[in-house]
Amino acid sequence: MPTTVIHPALLALGVLLQSAGMLAVAPLLKVAIKKMKASLQNRQGPPWLQGYYDLAKLLRKEPLRSETASWVYVAGPRVYFAAAIAAATLVPVLTAAAPLESAGGILLLVGTLALGRFALATAALDTGSPFGGMGASRDMTIAALAEPALMLGLFTSALAAGSLNLGVLVRGLVAQGPSFHPSDLLAFAGLLIIVIAETGRIPVDNPATHLELTMIHEAMVLEYAGPDLALVEWASAVKELLYLTLLVDLFMPVGIATSLAPGALLVALAAWALKVFALAVVVTLVETTNAKLRLFRVPELVSVSLGLAFLALAVRFF
Amino acid sequence: MKADILVLCAAGMLVSAYLMVGQRALFTTIRLYGLQSLLLAVVAATIAISEARPELWVTAGVTVALKTILIPWFLMRVIDRIGIHREIEPFLSVPASLLVCVGLTVVGYRVSTGFPEGAGGVSHHLIGVALSLLLVGLFLMVTRKKAITQILALLTVENAVFLVAVGVTSGMPLIVELGISFDVILAVLILGILVRRIVDRFESMDVSRLSTLKG
Repeated sequence: MPTTVIHPALLALGVLLQSAGMLAVAPLLKVAIKKMKASLQNRQGPPWLQGYYDLAKLLRKEPLRSETASWVYVAGPRVYFAAAIAAATLVPVLTAAAPLESAGGILLLVGTLALGRFALATAALDTGSPFGGMGASRDMTIAALAEPALMLGLFTSALAAGSLNLGVLVRGLVAQGPSFHPSDLLAFAGLLIIVIAETGRIPVDNPATHLELTMIHEAMVLEYAGPDLALVEWASAVKELLYLTLLVDLFMPVGIATSLAPGALLVALAAWALKVFALAVVVTLVETTNAKLRLFRVPELVSVSLGLAFLALAVRFF
Repeated sequence: MKADILVLCAAGMLVSAYLMVGQRALFTTIRLYGLQSLLLAVVAATIAISEARPELWVTAGVTVALKTILIPWFLMRVIDRIGIHREIEPFLSVPASLLVCVGLTVVGYRVSTGFPEGAGGVSHHLIGVALSLLLVGLFLMVTRKKAITQILALLTVENAVFLVAVGVTSGMPLIVELGISFDVILAVLILGILVRRIVDRFESMDVSRLSTLKG
């Protein structure tokens, strides 16, 4: 798909399909990780469609909001959700081109995700509940370290392909063919830690508990109920899928479609599902074999990934 | 394909050394060392296949047997016996250590370009990684207080030397290689006993306490 001449209608279709597709698949990924984790613990786990049931249930409920909440509280989940969808259209998923890649590249992606995070953190502060403020402050502490690491890791790949634009970048990687540089592994290791930190998984945060001493993301959204909560949960799922897709794009672009032929798209769909699933297995294994870190140890872990990402960038120059 | 495997394994060794720096739990550090040695064995095996040097199979086999199985098992046993599981306070905080290690790696890579073999290609990465590993190992040795971590740092340095010997040179004579391997196992055994003596005497693995022995 060339970047220069795209019909607006085709562009709109691409945006629509990609965001709808990501929204549709995201709850499945969350349940898949839950199921794998459960089977490693000799439990059965939720049914495959549980993610959709939960969202449907929450969306049907009446929106309950605190009396002290202002418009910031209402806007938070909506901005977060919108930012997640916008970010999803900036990343190539099946084809080696993102629908909105002409809008911007890596910096826009990181900025969009940061906007969502900011909206949610301010909304968490809005009601004045101690948990919201605590969660927001913890989330921001981690984000302050995770964001530069994410950017450095992405820049390493950008340096290899010579472009900050994710679509151009992936096309460059595909054209280049399989070649390996030590910085790839360093950047991958760094970014994997970031993905685990950003998606709130063990060892950084535990998505399954509401224990006040340890929760980060759950503390931020503790006040939300009904459709507001559904938006937050859904956006978080999309973000998780987005991060895994990003890793797949940058480090294993094998199988991604370079044309819009149905056959190539089918192969790309299968390859993408397989690769994301493989990464989900890795995330599950990390989550099952590690204990949650003490909160004050988390910046150490994230600084490891910052170090790895920085190193990857440095080694790229030799 | 061969070049990719070699570079992947070398980079993996470097990543494992980094995680060792960023890690406080001693068990995990030992497991990372085992992983690092396994990658070294894969490097030796890859070269054994691609360059038809069957004597490297011995190197690979000895590396797996000694460094990924025997030494980690022995060190874990030592830790289990003395019941100290964590590096509580290194001389330098973890983020600062990582920053220093990034600098050391850049130095290692920069120096590697000075060798005629290190100008480009696979041996460039192998020498670069090995020098970085050497420097990171030395750094780990001087900034950690626990005797076990210092042993692991020494072993990391030894892995770095082996990586260059196997990957870049035409290899050491087999008898020398076996000699080094037995030296290593002997050193680890003696150090393991020494650690227990230190713990018996001071009820801690903190080697900085040894300075109180001065009269």
